[in-house]
Amino acid sequence: MQTAKSTTHVKKSHKHMGVFPVINGILFVIVCLIILVPLWKVLVDSLDLTTGYGMKLFPEKFGFEGYITVLTNPTLATPLWNSVITTVSGTLLGLLLSTLGAYVLIQFDMPGRGLFAGLLLFTMIFSGGMIPSYIVMRNLGLTNTLWVVILLPAINVYNLVLMRNFFEGIPNSLFESATLDGCTPMQTFYKIALPLSKAALASIGLMFAVSYWNDYTNYKLYITKANLYNFQMKLRSMMMGSNLPTAVGSATENTVQNAAVIVAILPFMILYPFLQKYFVKGINIGAVKE
Amino acid sequence: MVSAARSDIHKKPIGPRIKKYAGFYLLFLPVLVFLIIFHYLPMFGIYFAFTKYTIIKDPVWVGLKNFERLFSMPNFWNAFYNTLELSVVKLLLTTAFSVILSLLLNEMINIHAKKTAQTIIYLPHFMSWVVTASVFQLILSPSTAGLVNQVLMNLGITDQGIYFLGSSQWWKFAYYVINIWHDTGWGTIIFMATLTGIDPGIYEAASIDGAGRWKKMWYVTLPALANTIITVLILNLAKIMNLFESVFVLQNDAVMDVSQVLQTYVYYQTFNSGGIPDYGYTTAIGLFRSLVGMVLMLVCNYASKKVRGRGIV
Repeated sequence: MQTAKSTTHVKKSHKHMGVFPVINGILFVIVCLIILVPLWKVLVDSLDLTTGYGMKLFPEKFGFEGYITVLTNPTLATPLWNSVITTVSGTLLGLLLSTLGAYVLIQFDMPGRGLFAGLLLFTMIFSGGMIPSYIVMRNLGLTNTLWVVILLPAINVYNLVLMRNFFEGIPNSLFESATLDGCTPMQTFYKIALPLSKAALASIGLMFAVSYWNDYTNYKLYITKANLYNFQMKLRSMMMGSNLPTAVGSATENTVQNAAVIVAILPFMILYPFLQKYFVKGINIGAVKE
Repeated sequence: MVSAARSDIHKKPIGPRIKKYAGFYLLFLPVLVFLIIFHYLPMFGIYFAFTKYTIIKDPVWVGLKNFERLFSMPNFWNAFYNTLELSVVKLLLTTAFSVILSLLLNEMINIHAKKTAQTIIYLPHFMSWVVTASVFQLILSPSTAGLVNQVLMNLGITDQGIYFLGSSQWWKFAYYVINIWHDTGWGTIIFMATLTGIDPGIYEAASIDGAGRWKKMWYVTLPALANTIITVLILNLAKIMNLFESVFVLQNDAVMDVSQVLQTYVYYQTFNSGGIPDYGYTTAIGLFRSLVGMVLMLVCNYASKKVRGRGIV
C-alpha cells in the first residue's frame, strides 16, 4: 500500500516536473566537480614530469618518476611504515577499549556503573588542555616514542558511546541466557556481544583507522624525532619545502610533492567506495538513534 | 534516566551485587587506566596555571599572576575573538550548505546519480587536514601554477595573482571556503537520515492540497529538518573552543593577526616562542579555554535537553 502510494506520487510529480530535475542535476555535477577538480589536478600533476602550470586534463609528459621517488626513498619509507604500524595497532587497541567500556556501561545493575559513566563523560566537558597533557606525557617518558601516538587516541569517549548505543540494541535475554549457561562476563563479551556487533565494529574501527592514519596534532605535540614521524608529518614538511627527497629521473619537485599527497590518500581512496556504508552507519548509530 | 529506572527494580544489597559483577570490574580496568593516564592526570595539571614553571626550575606558586598577565595581552584577546569568529562562522556556513545540499539530494529521482553524488561529496571529509592544506596550498598558489589564480587571470578578473592564504585580507575567506569543501558533504548524512524518515503520505497530502515542489520543500521538508538542524548546531557549538588543526595547517606568519586562535596561541607560546617557555603561563591560557568550553558545553547540554529531550553528554 505504502509503496503503491509513493510510486503514484513519483509518477504524478514526473508529469509536471518541468526543468527542475535538469537544473538540479547540473547543480550536482558542479558540486561534484568542485570537490573532484582539486584532487584531479593533484593526480595529474603527480604523473606529469613538467611542472604543472594551470589546469591540464591529462599529464603533458607522463611518467611514474614522482611515485618511484616517494616509494623508494628511504626518508619516506620510515614515515609510511610508522603510519601503518600506528594505524593497525591503534585501531585494534581503540576497538578493544571501546567495546570493553561499552560492555560494562550496559550492565545497568552494576554498582559503580554511574561513576564509570560519569568519569567517561566528564572528559567530554572538561580537559586539562594541551600543556598539562604534554607535561604528563613527558614525565611518563612517552614523548618521542610511538607509544604516545598509539595509546593516547585509543581512549575515545565518543566512539565508546557509539559502541554502547549499539550494544544497547542487543536483546538482554541473549546475555542472560549465556550467563545462565555458565558463561563468565568475558565469555559473554566475546561470544555474544562481539559477534553480534560486526557492523558496528567495522564502522567504529574505520573511524579509528582514519583518525590514526590522519593524525598530525599528536605527532606535532609529542614527537620531535624525525625517524618517528608518520606520513602526514613527512608530507607536511615536504610541502613546507624542507627535506624534499632527491627526485628520481626527470621528476620535478612539484611532481614529487603531488605524488606524496596522492600516496597519503591512496590507501583510503581504494577502500572507500567499499566501506562507505559503514561510515554512514557509524554516524547514524550515534546521532539519530531515536 | 533509563538506567535509574532499571536499577530501581532490582534493589539487592550492594555486597552480593558487587560480587556478581566482579568480572566486569576487571573488564573495565584497562579503560579506567587509560582514562586516568590520558585524561585525569592532565586535569590535575591545571595546577600549573597558578605557578611559574619553566623547564629549568620546579613550579613556584604565583597565584593569579598568569591570568593578570594574560588578560592584559591584546594578542590573547585577539586569539579568543578569532577562535569564536572562525568556528561560529564556519559552523553556520557548513550547516547551511549541508541543509541546502540535502534538500536538493532529496529531490534527486535517479537513485544511481544520487548514490554517486553522495559518494563524491563525502570524500573530502576523510582527507586529513595536512592533505587538505597541501591540496589547497597547491591550487591557491599566487603564481600561475595555482589553478584558481590562473583561472582568475585568464578571465581578466585580476591581473596579479592573489595570495589567498598569505594575506590577512583573504585568509578568513579562504579558510571558510576550504572548510565548506571539507565538511559540507559529510554534514548531509545526518540530514539525509531525517529526510528519508519523512512519511511520503505527507507529501501526498500536500500535493492534493495543491502544493508544488517549492511549497512542499518549504512547508514539509524544511520543518522536518528543523529539529535536526538545531541538534547539529548545539552539538557543534559545544566544541568550538577545540579549534586547532584546521587552522594550524593553514596559517603562516603573514596572517597571524587573523588566524591566531587560542590553541595555536598556546602552541606557539610554548614550543615556538624563541625563549624559555613558561608552562605555567601557557597552561593558564589553556585553562581559560577549557573553562569557556565547559560553560558552552553545559549551556548546549541544557539547550539540548530543552529542545530534544536528551542531553549531549
